[in-house]
Amino acid sequence: MNRTEEQLKAALRREEAPEGFTERVLASVAAQGSYQPRPSHWLHIFSPPVLRWASAVALSAALIAGGIHYRNVQRERAEGEAAKQRLMLALRIAGSKLQLAKAKVNEVNVRDNDSKHRQVKE
Amino acid sequence: MALAERPSENDFAGADFAEMVRRHQSMVFSIALHFLADRSAAEELAQDVFLQLHANLAALKSEAHVTFWLRKVTAHRCIDRKRRTRPPQVSLDDVPEPSSPVSSPDPLLSRRLRQMVASLPEKARMIVILRYEEDLAPGDIAEVLAMPVGTVKSHLQRSLAMLREKVTRAIGEVMI
Repeated sequence: MNRTEEQLKAALRREEAPEGFTERVLASVAAQGSYQPRPSHWLHIFSPPVLRWASAVALSAALIAGGIHYRNVQRERAEGEAAKQRLMLALRIAGSKLQLAKAKVNEVNVRDNDSKHRQVKE
Repeated sequence: MALAERPSENDFAGADFAEMVRRHQSMVFSIALHFLADRSAAEELAQDVFLQLHANLAALKSEAHVTFWLRKVTAHRCIDRKRRTRPPQVSLDDVPEPSSPVSSPDPLLSRRLRQMVASLPEKARMIVILRYEEDLAPGDIAEVLAMPVGTVKSHLQRSLAMLREKVTRAIGEVMI
């Protein structure tokens, strides 16, 4: 260790803490402790164990009920969509049948008119 | 049982907190004092460190662990505090007077040296304090400050060179 280091060691030697330091620390610890036990936050109403359990059970039940409801809604929506598709298909089929019937009627009418014209000429 | 003597799962943490404060207060206060160069700020910081220690007692396993933890928390708190506040101009009057008889042959030089240490950059200052006040090896300082040993060594070399030069200049001024 050189001279500067020795001088530094002498200059930076430990100092005693001020008088009454320990007592002040203990007083601060005690003061801090007295504020800690009761949290001022509104959530402290859930601190009793029974309430905590009840809250957990209620939350779980709500989640399960919500899940079931969501699944039912999804199933009803899927069934409605399938019914709509079936109806559209039925309407398309009915429409094409009507077109066919109309064409047949027109064909019969044309044939009748031709035969009437021929009779009138004779 | 008093709050300060809080019982705990392990025997060590159940030790008398007041006794623990008495044993380490000089170390914590001195690190803060030499770093901050302000007695009331150093006492305030040291109190906060011990409050934090009380809250963390259960996590500390041995006396050596407590010493390491205290040095680490004090060092980091000092550096944080200095970074948060504007760096004050360190005058000769701000530098703490020793509370016990001076062992150095030159009390004025010691005071001047403390002033010079207080003017070093934060990390370099803490490294010098831990090296020469706490007598820690560079490896231990690196662990306390969570930095590479090489960085600690280079900070030490640079700080020492700077202090040596300043001391030489100061002695020259006194001689003139």
